Amino acid sequence: MSIITEITLIAVVVSIACALPGVFLVLRGTTMVSDAITHTVLLGIVIAFFVTRDLNSPLLLVGATLTGVFTVWAIEALQRTKLLGDDAAIGVVFPLFFSVAIILITRYTGDIHLDQDTVLMGELAFAPFRRLTIFGVDVGARAFVTMLVILFINAGFIGLFYKELKVTTFDAAFAAAIGFSPALIYYGLMTLVSLTAVGAYDSVGSILVVGFMVGPGLTAYLLTHELKKMIGLAVLFASINSIIGVRLAFALDSSIAGMIAVVTGTVCLIAFLFSPKKGLIKNTLTRRREREAFDRKINEIN
Amino acid sequence: MMKRKWIGFTILMSILMLAACSNETATTPEGDEPINVVATTTMIADLVENIGGEYVAVTGLMGPGIDPHTYQPSASDVYTMDEADMIVYNGLHLESQFIEMFEQFESRGVPTTVIADGMPSSAYKTVGGEGSTEYDPHIWFSVNNWINASEYVAEQLAEYDPEHADDYEANAQAYIEELSALADYIETRIEEVPESSRYLVTAHDAFQYFGEEFNFEVVGLQGVNTQTEAGTGDISGLADFIANQKISAVFVESSVSSRNIEALIEAVNSRGQELSNAGELYSDALGDEAHDTETYIKMYRSNIDTIVDALNGSQDNKH
Repeated sequence: MSIITEITLIAVVVSIACALPGVFLVLRGTTMVSDAITHTVLLGIVIAFFVTRDLNSPLLLVGATLTGVFTVWAIEALQRTKLLGDDAAIGVVFPLFFSVAIILITRYTGDIHLDQDTVLMGELAFAPFRRLTIFGVDVGARAFVTMLVILFINAGFIGLFYKELKVTTFDAAFAAAIGFSPALIYYGLMTLVSLTAVGAYDSVGSILVVGFMVGPGLTAYLLTHELKKMIGLAVLFASINSIIGVRLAFALDSSIAGMIAVVTGTVCLIAFLFSPKKGLIKNTLTRRREREAFDRKINEIN
Repeated sequence: MMKRKWIGFTILMSILMLAACSNETATTPEGDEPINVVATTTMIADLVENIGGEYVAVTGLMGPGIDPHTYQPSASDVYTMDEADMIVYNGLHLESQFIEMFEQFESRGVPTTVIADGMPSSAYKTVGGEGSTEYDPHIWFSVNNWINASEYVAEQLAEYDPEHADDYEANAQAYIEELSALADYIETRIEEVPESSRYLVTAHDAFQYFGEEFNFEVVGLQGVNTQTEAGTGDISGLADFIANQKISAVFVESSVSSRNIEALIEAVNSRGQELSNAGELYSDALGDEAHDTETYIKMYRSNIDTIVDALNGSQDNKH
């Protein structure tokens, strides 16, 4: 397998794994949770470092995942109080955790090379070179294997709880009335968001985590009203964006992660402009036609 | 259901097509071809080129002026790594994000040389006060360390390519002579600065090794890591220190933002001490041919000239 193919495969798997929970983040209007996680994981890394005093300890990764979970739970809990907006909840939790981490670093580890990149070494370009060997057998690129597992977990969760997710996302009050707890489903989903974000961060780097989680879901959202179709389209766009992005990056010799993010943004913008259902152009035309029709009616009356 | 199956099918097909059209298998030719050496920093690339001569083809991952802490690989770096016969990197967490990958290359049979292994661990300086086990990675600013590194690189190349072992050893000896001449040049130039003025104030602590080897007091505004912000305490404490010691020049670095140094200059000026920005020093990366700083030796000479000229001139002004 050539190196480009391998990078493409990794990108596709990571992007689909991210796009699945990303759909629900888009629907709930909390996409920036993914951005929050890529920052707050630093707190977990710092605390785990104080415990282990070792920059290479796997515990640092565990710490990162746990703070990710803690972050989404804290955001979720704040949002559920309904005392502040969804985005405000993210705005409170993310800077708080991140700045505590920065303070701990400057106060206690001033001169040590400690930042997210030291522990979460995700870089899509070099992902094929980080192999996973089990019992001496090379089973593939580590990013590919771990993210494939996360992809299956996400797909399994969404498949099993599809009905619950649908009801709680669109009508939480109704869901509670007919007897299942929206909180449980949300916390479950958010835990997956955190796990996926940390896994993706460690595989492909931080720029792409946000791009992968938000881009495909948002593009799909602009093109359809049905949840099933939206999930399908998100998966499709995640794959297409990754394939085109990797190709372009090699053609132009630029950062691979950066190029995929650019393609993701461009595709989303195209959907925003040209979507046959909710696109800006379609919207403007419809509005103009309605206004003209209205004017005509008025003229007729006069 | 049908629709989802179709989508899945489409994805699968596009991936297969992609795999089919990109089967450019890389062959690694042996024999008279030069050894493909991948070096991380520009300093190391220069070192390996000097020792390996015509028998190596060195590719540096991080270009001139790039801060190793924030380096982002481009697509061609993927091929560079894929075709590497040998990898040389600094160590001591300078390339912390890639060390795991380099170690994996080593275990797959691509020899990996860590420059820091070429010197006794007593040569490392620690950072972060007493009891710290974190080492300062800027080892190249000790010319002595770089002499040790030259011998080590020659040994490592000879191990990989015993046929040309004598050439590598000869190149190393010639280069070590150049390095000794550089050390003499540095010492002579520093003599021009009165001992009481030998303070080097820069944005981040990259010059500890230089300071120890050539008796210079080095004061950094930031920690070792260029990503941590300087705290306000750092700036006002340092401003007091500069005003008390009557230091008249500070320096910026090629790969670090000069913003904090500007804040420092303002703080010192407000304490009634004249402080000027004396120019750019090369710290984590070499310069380019346009500035005549594309090799380690030229880079070091440029740094010393900048430092001595600034501190020297300021001394004259006082009289």
